[in-house]
Amino acid sequence: MDGRLAAYVVRRLLQAVPLMFVVLTINFTLVHLAPGDPITFLAGDQGNTQYFAEQRAKYDLDEPIAQQYGRYLLNAVRGDFGYSFSYGQGVFSIILERVPATLLLMLTAQALASVLGIFGGVLAARHRGGWVGTFIRTGAALGYALPVFWVGQLLILFFAFRMGLFPTFGMESPRSDYAGLRRIFDIAVHLVLPAVALSLAEVGLLIRITDASLRDLEGADFVRTARAKGLKERTVTYRHMLRNALLPIITVLGGRVGTLLTGAVLVEIVFAWPGLGRLLFQAALTRDYPLLMAMFIVSSASVVIANLVTDIAYVLLDPRVTYG
Amino acid sequence: MEAVRRSIPSLITACVVVALPFLLLACGDDDAKPTATNVGVGSSPAATAAAAPRKGGTFVISASSDPGQLNPAITTAGGTHFAAGSMYNGLVDLDKDFKPAPDLAENWTVSEDGKTYTFKLAKGVKWHDGVPFTSADVKFTFEQVLLKFHARTKAGVEPVLAGIDVPDDLTVVFRFKTPYAPLLQQLNVIEAPIVAKHIYEGTDIQNNPANLKPVGTGPFRFVEYKKGQQLTLERNPDYFKPGLPYFDKLVFTIIPQDATRVLAFENKEVDYVSLPGADVARFEKLDGVVVGRSPAGSGGSFCVSTLIPNLDRTPLDKLEIRQALNVAIDRQRMVKQILFSQGDAARGPMASTLWSFDKLLPAFDYNTQKANDALESAGAKKGADGNRFKLTAVMPTSQAKLAEILKENFAAVGVALELQLLEVNEANQTVFVKRDFDLGFASYCNGPDPEIGVRRVYDSTNIKPVLFSNGAGYRNPKVDDLFNRGVAEVVREKRVPIYAELQKTLLADMPYFWLLETRNAYAVQANLKDLRPWTSSLAEYAWLDK
Repeated sequence: MDGRLAAYVVRRLLQAVPLMFVVLTINFTLVHLAPGDPITFLAGDQGNTQYFAEQRAKYDLDEPIAQQYGRYLLNAVRGDFGYSFSYGQGVFSIILERVPATLLLMLTAQALASVLGIFGGVLAARHRGGWVGTFIRTGAALGYALPVFWVGQLLILFFAFRMGLFPTFGMESPRSDYAGLRRIFDIAVHLVLPAVALSLAEVGLLIRITDASLRDLEGADFVRTARAKGLKERTVTYRHMLRNALLPIITVLGGRVGTLLTGAVLVEIVFAWPGLGRLLFQAALTRDYPLLMAMFIVSSASVVIANLVTDIAYVLLDPRVTYG
Repeated sequence: MEAVRRSIPSLITACVVVALPFLLLACGDDDAKPTATNVGVGSSPAATAAAAPRKGGTFVISASSDPGQLNPAITTAGGTHFAAGSMYNGLVDLDKDFKPAPDLAENWTVSEDGKTYTFKLAKGVKWHDGVPFTSADVKFTFEQVLLKFHARTKAGVEPVLAGIDVPDDLTVVFRFKTPYAPLLQQLNVIEAPIVAKHIYEGTDIQNNPANLKPVGTGPFRFVEYKKGQQLTLERNPDYFKPGLPYFDKLVFTIIPQDATRVLAFENKEVDYVSLPGADVARFEKLDGVVVGRSPAGSGGSFCVSTLIPNLDRTPLDKLEIRQALNVAIDRQRMVKQILFSQGDAARGPMASTLWSFDKLLPAFDYNTQKANDALESAGAKKGADGNRFKLTAVMPTSQAKLAEILKENFAAVGVALELQLLEVNEANQTVFVKRDFDLGFASYCNGPDPEIGVRRVYDSTNIKPVLFSNGAGYRNPKVDDLFNRGVAEVVREKRVPIYAELQKTLLADMPYFWLLETRNAYAVQANLKDLRPWTSSLAEYAWLDK
């Protein structure tokens, strides 16, 4: 890594510290002010007042919120983010167990979206004014607009239930103990529908962005020059125009990590995919404060890191942009 | 015109994309899902078993929520009990009629004064790690675990228990301060699962690692828990009940969404599903599927959906007003539109399927004219806006449909109902803790004995900021006394008339509006036999008929 890049990364990471602090503070306040009592979920809904008081004291929930926050920060600095109320286990070990499932889903959806979205965008640009272009652009707008949970249900209903091509839920078959390649294949088969559902909005967005970026470049000098040199239209589009259109596309891709994470919550619920989205949903339902807070930290950090990676990619792809 | 012409392709494309999924689904082969013979509709799967049970197979059960930790002795959360119940036993089992049957205790005696219960434990019981089970485990479980962390057992047993003695390894004696009738209903695997002393003694019980890797005595033992995905159990080869269980493997797979869960069952990816009311009628027409119903389950049993009037506020503090409003409620419409006819209109403070229910009680009237007349005679005259008075109903969003029906019912008698639909936790807090409501809502589950789940709703000493307590703020010394007499009478037959009098008193006072009795509906593949859905050890006797 060259020295300037390293300094840039360090500077950006340091800038992220106050940001994370603000995120932590806002989330802590919101989570604790939201209605609901974690003790009810921890202990069940029946019992006497004294019992609930004992339990609140055990988890320091009887202290004023400012004091709880101070204690949380102090522990967090020491690397102690607490125990999940519902699992009775350190929060990060629970989160770590769920990261692979969500990463697999998000990366597959992102890869699918990048390939289909950019290719579809180019196709739409090359057939502007024709039926193909109109079809792709309208489909893209719809794909972007359709609610992901609705699309998910339809995919299950048709491809899993009616046609029997894919399983209806989960990441692995509950009846089998597959290992090695068979297990990979089993997971891949389970992955198809959730990844398609999650990528649909991204495909739509990328088609529109690619199409628009290419259109902006239509009148550019270098495009005219390339055409004047007698280059094939395909070469002009892919080698000259697309490379220049990539910058806004990369910005969009990086900026969508947060959206993908939220979309993953819905997709994971519909498809019973055992990832972070489901964990977040369950932690919110059961008011599992320590787990919720850790989830917020992880998701905020991933957005910060995604933005950083986007900016670095920007610099690497466009020599005009420098580390600022 | 040109613009219109150019937009035609877009419009057609949009229509095709939107309509495509529906067209595809409509083109699906309806005959692929047979709708022929009905197998044991509405009956318990147990009733259909005829052949001799055979060993083997994997039973996949769909669960709606991740169980979290797996120690059922420290929580009353239904999700944990549903998944973990198969790894544990109680001292006493409950059969399908909720009568006590042997489990870890092979027999027991109750002293004549109802103050001493002596249990003889089954011989040769071992924990899943091979350590022998003894009476010391029972004493430890009650004293250090259940009476500290199991909210229901703590609330019920702790105030009356004088002590637990273990004269030898296979005998446990419970001594009570006063005669205590319901104990045998409170010792099953849901109310009092027994955990291992050698695993939990001297540890932080709520955060013991064994809560995620349980060691029980139950028919199935722990294999693997992939959080949010599935819990896998295998047959306990050393189970103390000869020949049991039959299945090799039990898999609880977690599918949070109703629609996905139902489709997974129809696709035969899971063998058991709890059914949303709207799906029951359709499932009853499916071939190869048995639909069953049970008034009980891991999360609660004999539940009555109840509207809670705040008796500390006018005008609901007036008996005549409450009686009039009770007649204005159309329960049959609720049964049809909310429960999809998978339940009943409530007939009083106890579920009609509970042994203590007074079978002579008639159904509630629904008569708008009668309600209007009664309100008029109670002095609630209509104002210029056509309303007699206004009420605020605090209800969870899940009860929105019920709230709308109530609003219509009350509007018909000149009572304006302002609905505050809140997230369920907020609704419960507003009603039970903040007490800021005219009408609230709760599903009160009676449990297998009135002492377990009925008393808390009416006992004047239970008016406190605790969820599912006496939310109305109802006080009647006669009712408190009847509960005291009921709990002190050990012979069930002698308790029945006491509870009948109690129900009559409550109906005369009308401190709540009892609306609906709910049932748990479930479906299993037809070749699955002898399931026990009323307990949390639902597969102990289950087997697969090829």
